[in-house]
Amino acid sequence: MAPPVSCLLVAVLFSASCKATASSDQTCMEKEANKIYNCENLGLREIPDTLPNTTEFLEFSFNFLPAIQNTTFCRLTNLIFLDLTRCQINWIHEDTFQSHHQLDTLVLTGNPLIFMAETSLLGPRALKHLFLIQTGISNLEFIPVHNLENLESLYLGSNYISSMKFPGNFPTQNLKVLDFQNNALHFLSREDLNTLGATNLSLNLDSNDIKGMEPGAFHAKVFQSLRFGGTLDVSVLLKGLQNSTTRSLWLGTYEDTESQDLTPAMLEGLCEMSVESISLRKYRFSDLSATTFRCFTPLRELDLTATHLRELPSGIQGMNSLRKLVLNVNHFEQLCQINAASFPALTDLSIKGNLGVLDLGAGCLEKLANLRRLDLSHNGIKASDCCNLPLKGLHHLQYLNLSYAVSMGLRRQAFQESPKLEVLDLAFTHLTVMASQSPFQNLPLLQVLNLSHCLLDASNQHLLEGLGGLRQLNLQGNIFQDGSLSKTNLLQTVAGLEVLILSSCELLIIDQQAFHSLGNVTHIDLSHNSLMENSIDALGHLKGLYLNLATNSIRIIPPHLLPILSQQSTINLSHNPLDCTCSNVRFITWFRENLHKLEDVEETVCENPPSLRGVKLSEVELSCGITAVGIFFLVVFLFLFTILLIFAVKFLVRWKYQHI
Amino acid sequence: MKGFTAAFLIWTLISPSGGGTPAWPTHTACKDSNLEVLYQSCDPLQDFGFSIDQCSEHLKSNINIRFGIILREDIKELFLDASLLTGGVPFLNYSYPICEEDLPKFSFCGRRKGEQIYYAGPATNLGFEIPKGEHQVLLKLYNENHSMVACANATIICS
Repeated sequence: MAPPVSCLLVAVLFSASCKATASSDQTCMEKEANKIYNCENLGLREIPDTLPNTTEFLEFSFNFLPAIQNTTFCRLTNLIFLDLTRCQINWIHEDTFQSHHQLDTLVLTGNPLIFMAETSLLGPRALKHLFLIQTGISNLEFIPVHNLENLESLYLGSNYISSMKFPGNFPTQNLKVLDFQNNALHFLSREDLNTLGATNLSLNLDSNDIKGMEPGAFHAKVFQSLRFGGTLDVSVLLKGLQNSTTRSLWLGTYEDTESQDLTPAMLEGLCEMSVESISLRKYRFSDLSATTFRCFTPLRELDLTATHLRELPSGIQGMNSLRKLVLNVNHFEQLCQINAASFPALTDLSIKGNLGVLDLGAGCLEKLANLRRLDLSHNGIKASDCCNLPLKGLHHLQYLNLSYAVSMGLRRQAFQESPKLEVLDLAFTHLTVMASQSPFQNLPLLQVLNLSHCLLDASNQHLLEGLGGLRQLNLQGNIFQDGSLSKTNLLQTVAGLEVLILSSCELLIIDQQAFHSLGNVTHIDLSHNSLMENSIDALGHLKGLYLNLATNSIRIIPPHLLPILSQQSTINLSHNPLDCTCSNVRFITWFRENLHKLEDVEETVCENPPSLRGVKLSEVELSCGITAVGIFFLVVFLFLFTILLIFAVKFLVRWKYQHI
Repeated sequence: MKGFTAAFLIWTLISPSGGGTPAWPTHTACKDSNLEVLYQSCDPLQDFGFSIDQCSEHLKSNINIRFGIILREDIKELFLDASLLTGGVPFLNYSYPICEEDLPKFSFCGRRKGEQIYYAGPATNLGFEIPKGEHQVLLKLYNENHSMVACANATIICS
């Protein structure tokens, strides 16, 4: 029995020693020479010698440093950012960062800290961001207070902190972000808040199960934002927030949190505080009526995402200040059910991801004369004649998102009601346009148009008529007749185009004159088509392009096309069946000389000959002086020449002898 | 000599092959007389823990799950991709947002790299009947930068 056991022991020892050597062999990844290095997940026990002294950004998470002290990082005096996430640090000894004057961000997330020495954070001239998330802190006295005067953000999430009261000498005056997410703060007192010297702070108290607050705990305090996500009782909160001022207040809840339904009485507290923007995500309203919104009148932004709404009550009074309203992920059946007339000053409205098909109706948003942005995406909309009736009265609309609808029929001048549109997104909406009609006519200010995957017939030459100011056009995933972009095409009416996306359009050929009208274009994406090298001719008059030709059928690029590629600034030729024989040698040479212009070089590989399949083009070496056939002919020629010479000499000698 | 050979043989058998990633053990997420759910982490860096409270071929909606993992990425945004295969043939691909900047569905949304997460609560699933047979499910959790948060190869055996 004993020998097998000892054998096993030997085997375990063998494998252990093998593992240790393997891990120390691994090296850090260089992200920017001499500055940025990533040493994550390497099981390192010290800073490797391979890191240069000039390192500024070091990602060192998931290594093994049980104790850190002044010798640990002493060589890297230029450090600005140091990430020590989950390095199993127990001890941070005296003067660890003594010589790191530039250090700006220190991440200690997920370390089982036992003790931080009083002088452990001394050294940096301006330490701005300190992450102490899930480090087991239960008392704020744990954090050494020296040298925190410049701190702008302090992250203390997922600890066991039960009191927000900072020690008297803790410098909080420059703090901008204070994050107590997921702690054990159950009660906030006036005294707790008084230890916070900062104004305009963003304070995060998400997932803290706050059960009580001293009334007026936040009295006369000014915040940039306050988050109380997942709180059980909103009325307790709002009482504590009496006479406070905050720009944004986040009161949302979650799937896994059981929060009480909101009653009008619970929201009374809002009348006693000053707030610009409020979010009540995922709450459920009971007794929803116009009075629910009694204390919402001074609001500028209101977010009611996923609040189980079927309609907004009519007759809400006094919400004249509201600029932005978010009603995403609700249960409206018709757009008119939001009773838009209550919010006459609205500039930004978002109703996306509605749970059920949304009917756009007619003139439902007519009273929103100031509306600038409208998002109606992901709503399963079906509209046979869009969009003049639904958009009635929206004369100032600049941004319209109707993407991910089911289907829409567009006739001529379909957006006549909103002539100031600048961005129009119709991606993934099946559009039906009558033959040779121009639905986008009279949109001279439109700059961005996304028509990707609209199942359009892109061969309609009049489709884009009237879009004189268009700069960006996305036609991805639409089909051209016969797979050909011909000489006369829809791009002729949009001469000012800068960005053109024609990827996944099943294109086989582009006419040499197809892009002739485009003079300002700087970005062309023709990837995921079946284009061959002859289509490159169409780009002859364009210079300085970002040109994406990835995933096409380009094999051989003849020498006369190389100047066209040379005049562009960035080119992507990856995933093409490129030829790496001598018939393509000029292109391969060009490729190696222009590597700085090429994108995705790692994915640009040979297809032919089979011996070189999968080899990166940048690594192919070809010697194409004389081909085998050439050598054969040369040998034959030399052989014949020699025979001829011998005969000639013979003849000459004989002739001489005869004449002696 | 014989002992050394045996030791060498065992060593070659149990030591990880050069460069190959270690395979994490297969765990049981739930087991019942008719249904068994097994999973294995396909993240080369780490394993994770997962269990389902009620195990039944009549899958109820909003079943309770338990989940424990160390985050290797921030999860301000978190997405789930699921691919279902039966007999090696994919028949359903599905993508679902769990955390979004403008809609954090769960209380753990917004947690940061390095944090340990334990979630015990409802999964917002639909109720349905699991068809008889053996099904493979590939689950991937990733964030807005497409960095992997978790990866699982699961097998569902329904008899």
